[in-house]
Amino acid sequence: MNFVLIFLITIFSLSLFFYGRSKTKSISIEKNIKLNALPKFYGYYLVLWCSIPSLVFLLIWTLFEPVIIKSIIIETAANQGAIFNDKNEANLIYEKIKAIYAGTYFGDIDTILKESALSYAKFINLFTNSKIVLIFAIVIASVIYSLKKIKNNNKARDDVEVILKGLLFASSLIAILTTLGIIFSLLFESIKFFSVINIFDYLFGTNWSPQRAFVRDASAITAEEYDELKDAFGFIPLIAGTSFIAFIAMLVAVPIGLFSGIYMAEYASVKIRRISKPIIEILAGIPTVVYGFFAALTVGPFFRQIGENLGLTVSSESALAAGLIMGIMIIPYVSSLSDDVINSVPQSLRDGSYAVGATKSETIKKVVIPAALPGIIGSVLLAVSRAIGETMIVVMAAGLAANLTINPLESTTTITTQIVMILVGDQEFDSPKTQSAFALGLTLFIATLVLNYIAQRAVKKYREKYD
Amino acid sequence: MNEIKIKSKNLNVYYGEKQALFDVNLDLNEKEVTALIGPSGCGKSTFIRCINRMNDVIDICKVSGNIEIDGVEINDKNLDVVSLRERVGMVFQKPNPFPKSIYDNISYGPKIHGKGETKSELDEIVENSLKKAALWEEVKDRLDEPGTGLSGGQQQRLCIARAISVNPEVILMDEPCSALDPIATAKIEELIDELKKTYTIVIVTHSMAQAVRVSQKTGFFHLGKLIEVGKTEKIFKNPDNKMTQDYITGRFG
Repeated sequence: MNFVLIFLITIFSLSLFFYGRSKTKSISIEKNIKLNALPKFYGYYLVLWCSIPSLVFLLIWTLFEPVIIKSIIIETAANQGAIFNDKNEANLIYEKIKAIYAGTYFGDIDTILKESALSYAKFINLFTNSKIVLIFAIVIASVIYSLKKIKNNNKARDDVEVILKGLLFASSLIAILTTLGIIFSLLFESIKFFSVINIFDYLFGTNWSPQRAFVRDASAITAEEYDELKDAFGFIPLIAGTSFIAFIAMLVAVPIGLFSGIYMAEYASVKIRRISKPIIEILAGIPTVVYGFFAALTVGPFFRQIGENLGLTVSSESALAAGLIMGIMIIPYVSSLSDDVINSVPQSLRDGSYAVGATKSETIKKVVIPAALPGIIGSVLLAVSRAIGETMIVVMAAGLAANLTINPLESTTTITTQIVMILVGDQEFDSPKTQSAFALGLTLFIATLVLNYIAQRAVKKYREKYD
Repeated sequence: MNEIKIKSKNLNVYYGEKQALFDVNLDLNEKEVTALIGPSGCGKSTFIRCINRMNDVIDICKVSGNIEIDGVEINDKNLDVVSLRERVGMVFQKPNPFPKSIYDNISYGPKIHGKGETKSELDEIVENSLKKAALWEEVKDRLDEPGTGLSGGQQQRLCIARAISVNPEVILMDEPCSALDPIATAKIEELIDELKKTYTIVIVTHSMAQAVRVSQKTGFFHLGKLIEVGKTEKIFKNPDNKMTQDYITGRFG
């Protein structure tokens, strides 16, 4: 239904473009007046006026229709004698009614359900019909309004500019609101979690075993149960594992990425650069799951084998394997970004250095790198936040056990991996175990936000120097 | 007339397919200022960049022919460009101080060449270079401040001090005043007058007035060819070549 409406509105608006254009042309000829804008702007004006109000209306209607119908139906069902104790049961009944209407319900249908389903059908019809009527009314009203405007030779160019500006503003508003929505949903769930588990027990606890809180209703945890639970949500092993793996990844990615960036920017001939840069950037295009395979099937067992030969016990899932592969994954970020910042160091600085007799490597070491340093730091910090947020490789290669260890040969785990583990499968949404995922998400979000902020500040500081 | 310091013979330069210099034969005298004039793209900058082999930096640039400094061929693959550039310093069109402190800008060159092993020796080199570049009085109290924070004219004198710091014999200047205001320009010109007592100076300039003011010898380039060279006075008062005459009187260029 909605698609048909959108299609009709679009077709009609587009045809109005041609009408508006030729109409204003003929007006200007008939009345021998100078138009305030080119005829095509009058066409645009009609198109925008015809499409935007009706489409916005349709969008809002579609968002709110189910909500309103639902509350009406639940109320009618209650009036007819349906019994539900809480929101969940009400939802269940509503889903049943919907299924009956769609013909996909195979349980017993009692009179209450039947009546409700009938009224559901009635409301759906009513809403659909009124939607169509209202949309036609809106289209007609806005077309009449805009036609009247263009017949009076309005300043269509300026008006179109204003409308377009509004559209662009609305788009950016949507982006911002979505971000805010994500933050708030994280925040609210985290607050629920922290109302059960003390934030200090979370931040400074050294033991992470959330499965102990499985199927326990957060609102009904007793004091004794809490004593038992409070050391199940210790954040320290996770942040330690995350930082440790990220650290190993940086040990790999920073030198290799930086050196290859320097090579690309300073030494590689145009030909080599043209071939090798895309190849390095392909690394960034490999899905992380594929890296995960590589880490779990090739690198992990390889280290294990070496370890056994040396007489060490190496877990086949190790922080070393995960960190190493993650480092390789991050190389293109560091290399490409540092290549860019090194390239943007002005040639005149290099010339100045060569002119006093410095060699190429001296120039790079003493002039180019120091000048590009803030940018390089920025790129490294961006890479760190990428490493911290990476999930798949760790799931596959580092294991799930929250060991608090600094032995790279043992298995360890990260924040993101734990979030995945907590939310996979059927979950009770009010158990502290599930809620802890949001707390982890919030903590991770804050950490990457801070890193990104510092990185951007560093990059900005660098830019100011040469503009 | 001073002795000949730099001698170019049949110098040809190519940027890829395009030839930028054609058989340039030019002698530059010791402890004298030689000005190179000519319209944009005529090859004057290309010529001075051959003297300290800065064209090596450009991949597609090929240089053939001879340049001798004190009778020693420098357009030679086996020549050590590091020690050549120690002897032939350069100042660029746009001031290009390193984003380091004033002190580090000057001490950069000496450190690279292993001069000034102790701190006090280095201090002395920095002080002397800045004094020779007539900048010492202005910056002596803030040597640890960034060189990029100085004014345009001060930055250019800092770059001259940087060139002087390794104690060269020749200083090449590629339009050193084109980014500066008249007062800063006057200071640089005054400085050039002073520096010529110690150094052989080659200056590329677009300002005819500047060539007259600072140089003893002038070469006029056009389309990659050295059209005429001679005493500055003669070139500007009584040039042999019609093209030179047209250029200096502003009829083209």
